[in-house]
Amino acid sequence: MAAGLTAQGRYFDGASARPHPVTVSLTDRLAVSGPGISRDWNLLDLRATETVPPLTRVGAAGEAARVEFSDEALAAALAARCPDLYRRESRGGTLRLVLWSVAAGLSVLLVAVFGVPVLARLAVPLVPDAAETRLGRAVEEQVVRLLNEPPLCTDPAGRAVLDALVARLAGAAPDLPRDVAVSVRRNGLANALTLPGARIVVLSDLIAKARSADEFAGVLAHEFGHAALRDPTRSLIQASATSFLLSLVLGDLTGSTVIVAVGQAALSAGYSREAERAADAYAVALMNRVGGNGAALAAILERIARDEGEDDLAFLRSHPFTRERAAAIRAQAGPEAEAKRILSEAEWASLRAICGPDAAKPEKSRRRRPGSDARP
Amino acid sequence: MDTSPRAPGGRGTAVAFDARLDGLTGIAVKGFLLSLVTFGIYRFWYMTNLRRFFWSRTLVDGSPAEYTGSGKELFLGFLVALAILVPVYVGLFAVSLLSPSLAPFSAPISFLVLFLLGQYALYRGRRYRAMRTLWRGIRLGQDGSGLAYAARAAGWWLLPLLPLGLAFPFMRAGLERSRIRHTLIGVERMGSTARGRTILGPWLLIYAVALLPPLALGLAFLAAADFAPPTDLFVSKGGKGATGINPDYDGTTLGLLLVGFFGALATCLPLALLLVPFYRARETRAFMNAASLGDVRLVSTLRARQFYWPYLVYALSLIGFVALLGLIVALLAFAVRSGAGTGGMSILHLVIVPLYLGGALVFAVLYVRVIQARLWAAVANTTTVSDAEGLGRILAAARGPGSGLQEGLADALDVGGALQIGF
Repeated sequence: MAAGLTAQGRYFDGASARPHPVTVSLTDRLAVSGPGISRDWNLLDLRATETVPPLTRVGAAGEAARVEFSDEALAAALAARCPDLYRRESRGGTLRLVLWSVAAGLSVLLVAVFGVPVLARLAVPLVPDAAETRLGRAVEEQVVRLLNEPPLCTDPAGRAVLDALVARLAGAAPDLPRDVAVSVRRNGLANALTLPGARIVVLSDLIAKARSADEFAGVLAHEFGHAALRDPTRSLIQASATSFLLSLVLGDLTGSTVIVAVGQAALSAGYSREAERAADAYAVALMNRVGGNGAALAAILERIARDEGEDDLAFLRSHPFTRERAAAIRAQAGPEAEAKRILSEAEWASLRAICGPDAAKPEKSRRRRPGSDARP
Repeated sequence: MDTSPRAPGGRGTAVAFDARLDGLTGIAVKGFLLSLVTFGIYRFWYMTNLRRFFWSRTLVDGSPAEYTGSGKELFLGFLVALAILVPVYVGLFAVSLLSPSLAPFSAPISFLVLFLLGQYALYRGRRYRAMRTLWRGIRLGQDGSGLAYAARAAGWWLLPLLPLGLAFPFMRAGLERSRIRHTLIGVERMGSTARGRTILGPWLLIYAVALLPPLALGLAFLAAADFAPPTDLFVSKGGKGATGINPDYDGTTLGLLLVGFFGALATCLPLALLLVPFYRARETRAFMNAASLGDVRLVSTLRARQFYWPYLVYALSLIGFVALLGLIVALLAFAVRSGAGTGGMSILHLVIVPLYLGGALVFAVLYVRVIQARLWAAVANTTTVSDAEGLGRILAAARGPGSGLQEGLADALDVGGALQIGF
């Protein structure tokens, strides 16, 4: 071995904080000696803890005793001779850590995308009716507040026609969980929302945009479809579970919040295409059963999609999908549907006046589609 | 910044922080990027690296502190905390789902539950950090019950609500006393004589700046209106629910006082925020001076300007960076418009994402280097220990390093940062 290197240092015995001045010398072992101190460490046992050069602090692994010295030549020689001097438990594990956490993150994402919808579908029948009703009431309050408290439309003649229409549809509708509550509110959006607990809120511009009673009844039947298939409750459970899952995993670090926002928007904006198609099929079957024009739903869908134009959500709910839906609706309704009428002209006129005579004109600038439904 | 340990006056000795910060940028960049790639899981290892860096550069009587915690412990602690928190969150969600009559109370209930858990988590996190800290081979520690601390904290937080926040300094001092008196260095217990009245002055200053002018103008307004403000004072302006002051009152004393009141509200609160570093510096100094270990006392000469400087540098770099960003985006938008390409806007979007990530990276690094390191340095370098000989009398305890799972709850609840200045 090379000639010994020595330096002055301070030794701490690990039992008290008192510094002992010592001489540190490196041969094939590390010797620490001073008044009353004589230590002799095997180089393989030595560990250094992080310090700022020139200060070096070493001690034997698993021991509390430390020696501190400020001699760079000795520190360099020590580093050259002690293989494990700077060994840390996690050394070299970074790549493995990165790979495992990427895998874990992907698995959670997959669960969020594919697993949560399945779980939500399984969970919906478990929600008690009473809870769903209360939930629907709470969500309706929230939706009404979000829409700036649009007034309820209660014109008696129009309301009577609507009640009769709802009763007629509900009488023929299968699987409808309970009494449907349909309310009309005066608002410039052409939309109808189905909330948990079979609560349907119709916004008055939808009635204004409808050219016939069958178009309006078609949208209503479509919403009945969502209610019968319990889409609103399922979508609520799904959205909550997804956002909970994503925020759990991503924690709090920068950048991640953006991913959460985009992810939630893409994952839970409205219902899935399958849910819309199912509600369309339900609506056409229901309209055929009560003797209405099932194809009218396709007409109002197309009209409002055209008015909608360049919507901010257009990239998520693209137009070819509307065309596809309309074609499927017409095919299911059959050619003879066009001749059928669900209400008389007089009844349709009083229904149109449910929000007062001036609300019957459609608002030009508004754009939103029926059946794009609630995001409660 | 003072880098060498200052000459100890008398038998006193300095606390010092080596502010050269070589290698800190590397830790921060690696920590940020890997945290991003690993969905945030790397943050526990990042935090550990940062702590090891800061601990090893903090010298008391020439000996640096030693951090022996590991990222794995923090991560496991986080997983255990999730096991506690998931049922709590699910329970809170189920309560609001199943009985909407309770829904209005679910926000206060969750706030209370999470507040208590948060205080408990803070105390446990502090215990973990203490137990993973060695100085001259002697392990620090913390005893006492996290639940008792949470209950005390809840009591103290309720108290300031009663006399309009005036009890705040007393709360801070009370919690500081209970934290410090449960802190152990080896077998020695630390003591604290922190008193609320020593920091009442700075707190009252914030209070006076934030509240007095609006309060005075508001009272003057009420007096001018004979304590019966006219009902037509506010009129709705334009669309949805926007209201403004009725123009009929323009130029009248009443109108001026009302405008003054809102103006004072809008200016005094930001001004009071500017005083927060001043308060923090005074509080840190008072609490450091109150701390002791047997006969050994800490002496702090911290000045408020040493707390302002890092924030000023950080704010200026923020402004500079945002200005640069704006310039780049404006230039790009101009280039795209003159290029008249239809794909131009999507190119702009493609540029914005890296810019956003780059900006976040720059600020993460700046935050660590400027705010955390400089505040830490300001506190450490202005502190001296009154009696170097007294430090030598500290004896190690037979305590082990304790459980490694104690800090996870704090991370899961997002309370308590990676680094906390001072004790």
